[in-house]
Amino acid sequence: MKETNFCKSCDNATVKMYEYAKEMGLETIWDRAQAMQPQCGFGEMGLCCTNCSMGPCRIVKITEDGPKKGICGATEDTIVSRNFARAVAAGAAAHSDHGRDIAQALYHAALEEGDYEVRDKDKLLKIAKEWNVKVENRSLKEIAREVALMALEEFGKPFGKLRFLGRAPEKRRVIWDELGISPRAIDREVVQVMHSTHMGCDADYRNIINQAAKAALSDGWGGSMIGTELSDVIFGTPVPKKTQANLGVLKENYVNIIVHGHEPTLSEAIVIASKDPELIELAQKQGAEGINLAGMCCTGNEITMRHGVPMAGNFFQQELAIATGAVDAMVVDVQCIMPSLSEIVKCYHTKLITTSLKAKVPGAIHMEFDEEKAVEIAKKIVREAVLNYKNRKQKIYIPEEKAQGYVGYSYEAILKILDKVTNSFAHPAGTVKPLVDAMKSGVLRGAAAIVGCNNHKVPHDSGHVTLAKELIKRDILVVTTGCGAHACIKAGLMSMDAVNYCGKGLATCCELLEIPPVLHMGSCVDISRILTLLSDVAKYMGMDISDLPVAAAAPEWMSEKAQSIGLYAVSSGIYVVLGVAPAITGSETVVNYLTSDIEKILGGRFEVESDPVKAAEKIVYHIEMKRKMLGI
Amino acid sequence: MTLFDIIFTGSKQALEAAKGVVQDAISKKGEEGKVAFPETAYSLPTFYAATGKKLGTLKDLKDALSIVESLIVEEQSLEKALNAGLATALSAEIIEACKYATQEKPYSEPCAGFISDAIIRSLGVPLVTGDIPGVAVVIGEAPSAEEAGKVIKGYQNKGLLVFLVGKIIDQAIEAKVKMGLELRVIPLGYDVTSVIHVVTVAIRAALIFGNVQPGNLGDLLKYTKERVPAFVNALGPLSEIVVSAGAGAIALGFPVITDQEVQEVPHYLIVQKDYEKMVATSLEARNIKIKITEIPIPVGFAAAFEGERVRKED
Ligand code: SF4
Ligand code: SF4
Repeated sequence: MKETNFCKSCDNATVKMYEYAKEMGLETIWDRAQAMQPQCGFGEMGLCCTNCSMGPCRIVKITEDGPKKGICGATEDTIVSRNFARAVAAGAAAHSDHGRDIAQALYHAALEEGDYEVRDKDKLLKIAKEWNVKVENRSLKEIAREVALMALEEFGKPFGKLRFLGRAPEKRRVIWDELGISPRAIDREVVQVMHSTHMGCDADYRNIINQAAKAALSDGWGGSMIGTELSDVIFGTPVPKKTQANLGVLKENYVNIIVHGHEPTLSEAIVIASKDPELIELAQKQGAEGINLAGMCCTGNEITMRHGVPMAGNFFQQELAIATGAVDAMVVDVQCIMPSLSEIVKCYHTKLITTSLKAKVPGAIHMEFDEEKAVEIAKKIVREAVLNYKNRKQKIYIPEEKAQGYVGYSYEAILKILDKVTNSFAHPAGTVKPLVDAMKSGVLRGAAAIVGCNNHKVPHDSGHVTLAKELIKRDILVVTTGCGAHACIKAGLMSMDAVNYCGKGLATCCELLEIPPVLHMGSCVDISRILTLLSDVAKYMGMDISDLPVAAAAPEWMSEKAQSIGLYAVSSGIYVVLGVAPAITGSETVVNYLTSDIEKILGGRFEVESDPVKAAEKIVYHIEMKRKMLGI
Repeated sequence: MTLFDIIFTGSKQALEAAKGVVQDAISKKGEEGKVAFPETAYSLPTFYAATGKKLGTLKDLKDALSIVESLIVEEQSLEKALNAGLATALSAEIIEACKYATQEKPYSEPCAGFISDAIIRSLGVPLVTGDIPGVAVVIGEAPSAEEAGKVIKGYQNKGLLVFLVGKIIDQAIEAKVKMGLELRVIPLGYDVTSVIHVVTVAIRAALIFGNVQPGNLGDLLKYTKERVPAFVNALGPLSEIVVSAGAGAIALGFPVITDQEVQEVPHYLIVQKDYEKMVATSLEARNIKIKITEIPIPVGFAAAFEGERVRKED
C-alpha cells in the first residue's frame, strides 16, 4: 500500500473521520497497514510453515537454489493447503462456537426462569418437524429443550451426519457423500483438520482441501445454520423494517452505546436494557436526552434485522466511532474486535467493555456476560455507559452522514414478499415460484450474494458498493450480509430509490415487491439463510444449487471466517469471486485446484478478481453461462 | 428459445409483415398516398404518442419503419424485450393504417376496427368514475364457444369493457353474447394486428384525459400502467407475434393472462388453464375491484370470486 492520494474509503463519513483521527494524532488501521508494508511474501503466498519446532520453514520460489521443501519434506502444495485448511478450520470454529452459544441460549430459554424465551414458535415447530422431534401433547418449552439439546449434540455427536444437510438438494448430498465430505459433527471436523495438518500427517493437498471443505460445510450447514435458525427462534425471525446507517447515527446529546461483535445473545439483552425506563431516567439525570443504541459489524446486523437498531458502521469504522468522542461505551463480545480499541479509548472517556471469556482485551473493562442473567448484566453494562456520559472530555465530532434503508430480509420474509406477485386463483402461496419465474423468464438474470469484511488491500467499502451497483444495473438481484451489508446501506442501495441504479427487469421486480434491489439478509452466520433459499430454489426447479444462475462475492474479505464461508459456498456448488487473493498463490497446483478443477468435482469454484467492475463482468458471464446451460 | 427470443422473433416477423404491407400499399397508391384513421385528431395514435410525430402519407409510414426497427435490439433484458413489444405494436399500427389507406371500408359488421375519438371521449367519464371497472382484451380462440361465452359474459356482467380480437368473435356470436358499445363488448377484427385499435384507445385516453404530451413515452407508459385498468386474455395457441404483442401490452402495464403453457412472468404473464377462474384471475392480476351492483344482463354466471381474498393479508 503506497501512501499516495489513493481512495481510503468510498464512504464520506469514513474519509472525514480518518482525516480527523489523523489530525488528532490517533493511530488507525490504515496507519498500521501502512507501517506493515511491504508485507512478507512468504506469508502472503502461504509458503511459510510453523507447524512444528523444526521450523519455521519456507519455500523459496524466486531463486532456483532456495529450499523447495520444508525440513520434514513437506512440499509447497502441502504447506499451502495445510495453511489454508487451518484458516478454514479457524473460521468454522468461530462460527460454530457462536452457534453453540445460541443453542445454549435456547436451552436456557426452555428453562422456567431466565430472560430468553421462544419468540418464534412457528420456526421452532418447523425445525422440530425437520428434526423429527415429537410435538404433540408437549409444551413449547419441552420442544425447545429437546431441539436445543439436539442442536448441541450436532457439535459432537458420535454417529451420523449433520441434520441440516437434509435441507440441501438431493443431488448435492450425493456429491458430498461420494466425496466423503458430508460433515458428521461440527467440532469433529474442525479437530480433524487440526489433526491432519499436524506435522507428518496429511500431505495430499486434495485430501487436505477435502477435509477443509468438510469443516467448512459443518459451518455453513451446521454451526452458522444453527446460529441463525435458533437465534430466530429465540429473538424472532426478521421482517422488513426501516433503519439508518453510518456514523451519523450517533447523537451528541444522548448516551451513545455501541454494541460490537457477533452474538445476539448479548446485544438483544442490551436492546432491552437500553429501553429500561429507570436507566433512561438515569441518563436524563446525567444531562443526556436519552440512550442511543447503535450496532457495529455483525452484532449490528443482528439487532438491526430484528429491531431496526441503527447501524453505526462496519469493521473499518470501529476505531473511528470512538474517535467521534461521543461513544460512552463500546460493548463487545467476540470476533472482529480490533485489539487496538483499548489504545484508542485511552484518548477518550469511552469505556471498552468486553463480555466474553473467549475474547478479553488488555486495557478493557471486563463484565462477564452470562446467558442465565442476561438482562441483569446488560442493565449493569448500560448503567456503566450512562454514568460515563458526564465524563466526556474531548470535543465531539460526529460526521453528519447517515443513510436510510430497509433491512430484515430473512428467508421467511422474502417468501412472504414473493406472495405479493402470486395470483390467488392461479398460483400456490408461500413458495419460491415467483423468484424462479422471474429468473426463468429472464426478467431477473440471476442473483448474487455480496458478503464479507473490509480489508486495507481494497479501498474501504468500494469493493462492495461498486460490485453491487454493477450487478443491479444488469438485472441481477443482490443479497448481502455482514460488513458488505453495512457498505451497501451506507451507499443508499437499500433504499427504495436505489431502483434508479437498476436495470429495467430488476427495477420492475423491486417496484412490484416494494423491496430495494440489495437485500440485507443479516450477519455472517446468516449466510446460512442464503443456503436455505438457494436450496429451496434448486429443489423447486428439480436441480442442484450448482445449476442455478447465481454467484457469490467477497470483495473485501479478510477473516478466517470468510475463508470458511468461501469454501462452504464453493462446496455447495457456488461460484465465488474473491476481491483479495487468499494465501495460496505459492502453489500453482492448489490455485489451479481451487479456481478450476474443483468445479468439476463440487460444481463451485473460486475466482480471484480485485477489480470490482471486472468481478461484475465475470459474475455476469458466469450467470449467463448457467442460463444457457439451463436453456433459459 | 428463451421467452425474450420468442418476443424478438415475433417483433421481427411483425416488422417484416409491416414492410411488405407498406410496399404493397405504395405500389397501389404511390408514396404520396394519404394515410389516416377515421375520425381522429391523433393521426396514428401510437406513433404520435410515442414520437410526437404525425404520419400523413405512405412515405411517412415507410420512413417510420426504421424507428420500429431501431426498437428491436436482441439483448437478453426486460428493457429490450419490452421495446421489442412496443415495436410490434407500432408494426401493427402501420399494417392497420395501410388497410385504411388502401381499402374503402376495411372493417364491416360485426367488427369495429378503428375506434373514433368521440367514442373514447364518451368512455372517459365511466372509466374515471369506475363505472367501467376495467378493460378486457380477449384475443385468440377459446377451446369452444361455451368457454368463450363464459369468459366474455363474465366480464360483461361485471361491467367491464370487452374488446375481442380473432376467432373469439365468432365464438362470442355462437355463444349468443350480446355485442355493441352499450353492451360493452366490441369485436375489433379477425387479424391479430387489429388489437392495436384497443391499444390506441388506451393511448388516446392518456393524451386526452391524462394530458400526456405526445413524444413523452415515459409519461405515456406511466399513465397507461397506473390509470388504464386494462388486461389481456390471450387464448389458444400463441404465435410469436402474439407473444411479442403481449410484451407490448406488458410495456403499457397490462398483464397478460393466457390458457397456454408459457414461461410465466410474475404479475405480468400468468397462466390460467381453468376457464372458470379466468375472470377472477384477470381481475386480481389488474387489481380490479368490482362495485357491488352488477349490470343486469340475463346471464347466469356465478363466479366464485366475489368474496374478499382471504389468503393475502393486505
Ligand atoms: S511441519 Fe515441516 S514444513 Fe512445517 S515447520 Fe515443521 S518441518 Fe517445517
Ligand atoms: S464481515 Fe468480516 S469483518 Fe465484518 S463482522 Fe463479519 S467477519 Fe467481521
